[in-house]
Amino acid sequence: MGRIAIVEGVRTPFVKAWTLFEDIPAQRLGAICVRELLEMTHLDPDLADEVIFGAVAQPVEASNVARVISLYAGIPKDKRAYTVSRNCASGFESITSALEKIRCGLDEIVVSGGTESMSNIPLIFGKDITKIFTRLNRAKDLAEKIKLFSQMRPHHFKPVAGIALGLTDPVCGLNMGQTAEVLAKEFGITREEQDGFSLMSHKRAISGRMKLREEIVPVMTGRDYNIVVEDDNGPRENQTIEALSRLKPYFERHTGTVTVGNSCQVTDGACAVLVMDEEKAKAMGYEPLGYIRAYSYIGLEPHKMGLGPVYAIPGVLKKAGLKLKDMDLVEINEAFAAQVLACIKALDSKKFAEENFNTSEPVGRIDIEKLNVNGGAIALGHPVGVSGSRLVLTLLKEMKRRNARFGLASLCVGGGQGGAVILER
Amino acid sequence: MNTLNLRIEKEIAIIEFDQPDSKVNVLNTDTMRELDGAIDGILGKPEIKALLIVSKKAGIFIAGADIKEIEHITSADDAREKAENGKAVLDKISNSGLVTVAVINGVCLGGGLELALACKYRVAGFSDAVKLGLPEVKLGIIPGFGGTQRLPRIAGLTRGLNMILSGEMISGRDALKCGLVDRLFPEVRLIENSVALARGILQKTIRTGRKEKKKLFLVLLEDTPFGRALLFSQARKNVLQKTKGFYPASLKALEVIRRTYGKDFKAGSRIESEAFGELAVTDVSKNLIKVFYLNEEFKKLPWIAADIKPDKINKCGILGAGVMGGGIAQLVSFYDIPSRLKDINYEALKSALKTAKGLFDYALKKRILKRHQVDYKMGLISPTTTYRGFENTGIVIEAVVEDLNIKQKVFTELSRIVPPTTVLASNTSSLPIINIAQAAEYPERAVGLHFFNPVHRMPLVEVIRSERSSDRALATTIAFARRIGKVVIVVKDVPGFLINRILLSYMNEAGFLFEEGMDIRRIDRIARGFGMPMGPVELIDEVGIDVGYKVAKILESSYGPRMRVAPILEKVKEKGLLGKKSKAGFYLHKGREKEPNPAIFGLVGPSGSGHISDETALKRMIYIMVNEAARCLEEKVADRPQTVDIGMIMGTGFPPFRAGLLRYADSVGAGNIVKDLEVFEKGLGALRFKPCNYLIDIRDKMGGFYGTV
Repeated sequence: MGRIAIVEGVRTPFVKAWTLFEDIPAQRLGAICVRELLEMTHLDPDLADEVIFGAVAQPVEASNVARVISLYAGIPKDKRAYTVSRNCASGFESITSALEKIRCGLDEIVVSGGTESMSNIPLIFGKDITKIFTRLNRAKDLAEKIKLFSQMRPHHFKPVAGIALGLTDPVCGLNMGQTAEVLAKEFGITREEQDGFSLMSHKRAISGRMKLREEIVPVMTGRDYNIVVEDDNGPRENQTIEALSRLKPYFERHTGTVTVGNSCQVTDGACAVLVMDEEKAKAMGYEPLGYIRAYSYIGLEPHKMGLGPVYAIPGVLKKAGLKLKDMDLVEINEAFAAQVLACIKALDSKKFAEENFNTSEPVGRIDIEKLNVNGGAIALGHPVGVSGSRLVLTLLKEMKRRNARFGLASLCVGGGQGGAVILER
Repeated sequence: MNTLNLRIEKEIAIIEFDQPDSKVNVLNTDTMRELDGAIDGILGKPEIKALLIVSKKAGIFIAGADIKEIEHITSADDAREKAENGKAVLDKISNSGLVTVAVINGVCLGGGLELALACKYRVAGFSDAVKLGLPEVKLGIIPGFGGTQRLPRIAGLTRGLNMILSGEMISGRDALKCGLVDRLFPEVRLIENSVALARGILQKTIRTGRKEKKKLFLVLLEDTPFGRALLFSQARKNVLQKTKGFYPASLKALEVIRRTYGKDFKAGSRIESEAFGELAVTDVSKNLIKVFYLNEEFKKLPWIAADIKPDKINKCGILGAGVMGGGIAQLVSFYDIPSRLKDINYEALKSALKTAKGLFDYALKKRILKRHQVDYKMGLISPTTTYRGFENTGIVIEAVVEDLNIKQKVFTELSRIVPPTTVLASNTSSLPIINIAQAAEYPERAVGLHFFNPVHRMPLVEVIRSERSSDRALATTIAFARRIGKVVIVVKDVPGFLINRILLSYMNEAGFLFEEGMDIRRIDRIARGFGMPMGPVELIDEVGIDVGYKVAKILESSYGPRMRVAPILEKVKEKGLLGKKSKAGFYLHKGREKEPNPAIFGLVGPSGSGHISDETALKRMIYIMVNEAARCLEEKVADRPQTVDIGMIMGTGFPPFRAGLLRYADSVGAGNIVKDLEVFEKGLGALRFKPCNYLIDIRDKMGGFYGTV
């Protein structure tokens, strides 16, 4: 057995939620990618042993969305499919699960990926009124029904946004933006630094647009299919520091520094990659994009979830037997500018290393010129279940362009985890 | 004489239908007599309280009456008597006083359904094979075993009328909804459950409350004199619109039901038999039966030696997302085959997807498909602007612009991308396949696969065998075309192939008639009066004048002066009038309305007075097609007259009640046609009317295309 290869990959454009893709369900987004991946690689669908897909907000009408994607994409009915969630690292998890399955000899060829339609996360009714509705259904006579109706109150009918619930940590009680504020304060990251980082993300995404097209399958949408979406619609061509600085802090009105401008966007999209053993890939005549050298997940305090990469990266480097300086390219998912900047500081901090890793040796410095070179989630958006797959795909394509040897992709995970993958070519 | 098997389980008798040496059960005179005897036997045993009628054939209850018997009826009295005799047997069942149950395990049509209707109860399996209907009108007759009497009473007047007048089948679930069947049971325990049902009814432990409560509007419509009058007049309107008066059976059925609904059953039954008798001997019915046989024959016709096995197609590539490419993509995905649809830019892909979605939405509205099916099927079309994904297609259908150079170019490109086993099928309407094929590596895998517009509606495809096409490529293409629901004819690789070559002479003739001063509306009216779905001038506008002209020119250059394009066509084309797509051609099109386009007058000076009789005009348009069809047989473009007839009916809508172009020609007589053609030839000095040798041979030696008439 050789290394685990990522043979090829493709994604939809990342599209701001409630815009162009709002009528496309997550299963269809995923299927478009899987189908295109099969077309690109002209893999006989009968050879795909398993589809493993990450999704955070499982569509209510398509539970085990991976299975629906598999069938929609024309993979035969006797093939397997399951859905994984490790929150923001679900896209990673789909790939590393594939690795584990292949290593265990359970699968040979896996289609991994992630899908997310944040536009379609439903509004929900509160628990009280849900109970009344359920009982109404079971009510035996009119008197009972009238009694139940009489219990309804106007406030019952105010829906709760599922997406807001999803982005709030049930253990520490903070929403994701608030955890970014925690890091901004702890590491003393200013509003200016955050806005500056965000502007860079937009600029890189804009100048990388043609490169990003190489990983994108255009999607035809609209009522009459009259819209062709070929690019991510998050990056702003005319983004300025002035515009960013005018935005009000979103999570802490007065003392906060985290705004919608220096946070990732809420986005719809999907991504799929083809995973198999190196020898298998070569026997089939493929030239893989790259290989997985090592991966690592780790837990940390939920209210500091943004530091996930700081904990995951030393682990993955150790497994790979490499140093941070060996990395030719790095992708850290931009959940928040404050969070990425905090990670950079912490990784390069002797004090942080001493307090957390029992060593006076900091993990290392990340060269900003090697980080997120084609922009990140602040510009491109962060469809939560997809980003992990997207980082791997974007990184591998860029490594190929630069003929780079090693690449590191890492992300923070809501709920207090970090994930990191080292890729090689 | 042993179609039926009688089994008795205590108080229950079970009649099993199992026609020897056949996959299906049909009702013929012998079977009915046997059934009669069996019932008499049962009635002679007072201990028997219930009767089940079941079938031993998989997926088929009773497929209907034996069409051969109907075909051979020559007198209305005979027909009426046959109906009366059948009715007597069924009445015996319905008046038996037994608990009678029809156990419907599959197809239950015509006489089969009428037998089931004569039972007190009907149960059916859950399987999709269960189809119930009275398709008699499709054969130009009406139900003769009491169907017009019993069905409206049991399933409701609205539903009953609908089923009888359209001849359409309904599923077991729909039948349950309207009370046509009382229970659905799982296939594997169908008979056991039916026996239990009969016992339950006998022991009064099961109550068979029938259908759901009737909806108010149905009560108003069916049970009030005013509502009923409205219902019948609406039904009449619909029938007239659909049949244009050419198919008398539906009207007759309506008339019978209108006169008898809610009245005495016996009297009604007699009226039904009368009407059945009248219809059974009509030419329309005889012709429709011929077309039915033709259709059945062509569904299975092998065309290629049986040992050549077609390849299974898992994915279909389609090049060109125009009207045809888009239509083909929709059709292919309708049959759950993934397709990869390529065009050079997204504009064409957009309209192709829009068209496909429109068709699927229509199917949704008509309840042919459900939402989840539409979502799935629509997603099977994968649009692209590159050849990516064509590498593992089993067949590629080329539907790019009708230009030899472009077609050759894409065949060259394609043949480098796909493996040598992939069939390359061109949807050209007139270019010789061999010329396109030679641009490909391995030209033996290239064939023609000519669809007709609109793709989803026209049942025909012409499969064109070039001089190099391999049997394997042909077998694969034929199997694929049938999988997507098409009737296949295999024709020789000549310009225009079979159908367009014949049809073009009809359209061209209309051009000459116009030039001689005839009003285009009159020309179209005459053709429609013959039964053509569209007049030739309307058809030109529909096809597009640019497209029609192009094809006409190709044919002229291939076949010489006899195919000379009517000059008006060129003039209209030069004026930039494209037809319906640009809203102006020979007609100005406004929505569904149209009027002659003043711009076409004066384009050519009338060469005549326009004083041409309807009869002459029609003969010129139809006989010129007969002449061309005869040439096609002579040149072996088509292997036999049946191929021409099914092709014209399924590909152009040539009126089925005339049984096809050449059957019609036979009914006129080759001698008469030759005579008229010669008159036209001399009178107009037009070479195109010169009867071809084959036609003269037919007259002299055989008497008709189908042999001695």
